Amino acid sequence: MRHRGPILVIDDEPEILQTVATILEFEGYEVERAANGREGLDCIERTHPSLVLLDMRMPVLNGWDFARILKEKGVHLPIVVMTAAQDARRWAQEVGASGYIAKPFDVDDLLTTVGSLVGA
Amino acid sequence: MDLEQFSQYVSWLTYILIFARTVVQAVRRPRRANIDIALLFSATTIIIALSVASRLRLLADYPFLATVSTAITILLLLALPYLLLRLVDDFSNVPSWLMRASEVALALMVVTVVVLEARPPLWLLSLMLLYMVGFLVYSAVAFWRESRRSTGVTRRRLAAVAWGSIFLCALFLLVILSISLPEYALAWRLLSDVATLASGITFFVGFAPPLFLRRAWQEPELRAFLGRAASLPRLPDTNSILRELERGTRSSVGAPHASIGLWNEESQVLHFGTEASAMDMVPNHNSIAGRAFLTQRPALTDNIEVDNPAGAQRALQYGARALLAAPITAGDRRLGVLVAYAPRAPIFADEDLELVKLLADQAAVVLESRALIDEAARVQAREEVARLKEDFLSAAAHDLKTPLTVLVAQAQFMERRVARNPDLPADPKSIQRIVQETQRLRELVLELLDASRAEQGMLVGEREEADLVALARQVCARRGTERHPCMVEAEDRVVGHYDEVRITQLIENLVENAIKYSPEGGPVVVRVWREAEGNCLSVTDQGIGIPAPDIPRLFERFHRGTNVNDRKFSGMGLGLFICRGIAEQHGGRIWATSEPGKGSTFQVVLPVDPPASIPGAGDQGRSNAAREQSEEQSTATGTNSSERVPLVLAEGGKNAASRPNPGH
Repeated sequence: MRHRGPILVIDDEPEILQTVATILEFEGYEVERAANGREGLDCIERTHPSLVLLDMRMPVLNGWDFARILKEKGVHLPIVVMTAAQDARRWAQEVGASGYIAKPFDVDDLLTTVGSLVGA
Repeated sequence: MDLEQFSQYVSWLTYILIFARTVVQAVRRPRRANIDIALLFSATTIIIALSVASRLRLLADYPFLATVSTAITILLLLALPYLLLRLVDDFSNVPSWLMRASEVALALMVVTVVVLEARPPLWLLSLMLLYMVGFLVYSAVAFWRESRRSTGVTRRRLAAVAWGSIFLCALFLLVILSISLPEYALAWRLLSDVATLASGITFFVGFAPPLFLRRAWQEPELRAFLGRAASLPRLPDTNSILRELERGTRSSVGAPHASIGLWNEESQVLHFGTEASAMDMVPNHNSIAGRAFLTQRPALTDNIEVDNPAGAQRALQYGARALLAAPITAGDRRLGVLVAYAPRAPIFADEDLELVKLLADQAAVVLESRALIDEAARVQAREEVARLKEDFLSAAAHDLKTPLTVLVAQAQFMERRVARNPDLPADPKSIQRIVQETQRLRELVLELLDASRAEQGMLVGEREEADLVALARQVCARRGTERHPCMVEAEDRVVGHYDEVRITQLIENLVENAIKYSPEGGPVVVRVWREAEGNCLSVTDQGIGIPAPDIPRLFERFHRGTNVNDRKFSGMGLGLFICRGIAEQHGGRIWATSEPGKGSTFQVVLPVDPPASIPGAGDQGRSNAAREQSEEQSTATGTNSSERVPLVLAEGGKNAASRPNPGH
């Protein structure tokens, strides 16, 4: 198995953050948690994740700004947009994401998407 | 040519020119005022001609002709006050006894002069002069008074005429002086020439002003009106705009009255409204206003009794004998008609039609602008409603999806976990999250349902005797914490007939808000007391407070303070809307006072015994009286019920604020 970094989950709803993390950890992934884009950026420098699951509407630094700053820094990371909004697909295109998950999501879908991007 | 001669020539020439003009006018428009004016100037011109003849000694060789000429001069002089009095009557109002008296006096004097062959004794001459001076003073005063009562060009014309009467009066006084002090004859004669000229000119410009002067005299008011016109469409309502347009018309035309009739397409009438009364008119070709409206051309009458005998009596009641009317039309949209009217004919001239047309066009521009402003406001209100709806839907969806996401994911995760290894112990964290998020979902759904019930006025159920103090104590006991101690300050018992569940919900919402918006901690005080208006309850916190601009909209749906971070304070923003529904459906009201940074107080007043059927805050199925009552309460709480957004996604347009549209 090739080396891979942790999966970074960014969501300002603590319950959703914990739920997603619990599910991924149960499947054997290493997970980093961040409550907003700013914390997410700090976490990337520290842990070099292999995938970001990104909520869009967040305080402090939202998903769009997070993705923009990442691009400006020249960091290329697969991003999966994770949102309750109807525009999930469009938003994913806007930030150049590799995929999107519409809340409420099925655990199977979550795991399929993550697996396809980081390899199970 | 010496000065005396020069002044004489100028004086004569002026009189002849004026005479010619007034005669032409009288022939062209033979109405009473014009004929009276022509008569006045004919008399003065003949007097002048005869006096010229006598000064040039043209009749020196014919003693009989000289005598006749003197007699005619005296007769015409005697007739002058009478002719002037007729003009006073044309422009103002002379008591009929006074008219009769002057006619009798004139006749008596004519007889006397004829009998005495133009050689009256000094006492009689003095009496005649006194008569003339008396009537001239009366005319001057009457014209002056009428001038003060009038506006614009009419005011200036009548003031000129008043001066004319004064100059004429001075002329007669000079005659008296020249008789009593003959040694200064030259001075009297010079002064007489000046007075003659002055009275001629002032009478002329007053009674029959040439067009350029009329225009010049109308200009200041017209300019002021046009200057103001740009700001008129922004006046608070269409009625104020109409009154301002009418005021501008009165002052510009110099008419005592002006009125705008707005065309009502539905009922096919012209609606005239004033502060005092309103009148609807079906336009027809008999009436001047109707004619102007139907033909789309300005119309004029000197005398309504001649032009529209059928409608004259009614018109005269409004003080309308002479009327000018012009259509108010924007493009091909007929908006109405502008009418300027006066109880006296000679106020108006044909040329004023042009002016009234101009003013009507201006009115059309103003009214059309207003219609556009109203339309823009309606569109904006509709967009605001749509935006609020959109915002709410998006916020509600988000709020509902968050717990749902956790529920679905946790449930599927537990299933997956058990499937993979049935022997694994249950995950207490997952179960806790499911319980917690189910609770959250339930609260959100109940909040939505309550808001919907509040909208429909169906929030409050069975009422029974309830003690507000006891309810407040229960809420405080449940909600108070160490960081946010909740204290009740109250009398023994404050009892009324209420839906206990809803009142508890009301107090709970307020206490919860007080705690939520006091992130630094601090006491929450619930006060309960009795007042004449009803039972009172207030909740005071020492929290972040509410910015003043937010207070009026606090009790509207979805509204949250602008100093409130969405994420930090969850909730759909329906809590206070529901509180208002509970208070209002108990026949009470709720309002808030606050000082940002220091805290807020929410106060509720509830009648002790609410009327059996209190309509809700919703718009459906409500009687008019109920709506008025509710609107009063809305005013008290500073909200505007007409701008509320229907929670159920009904067509928002019908709730948009509507203003009367002058175009319809």
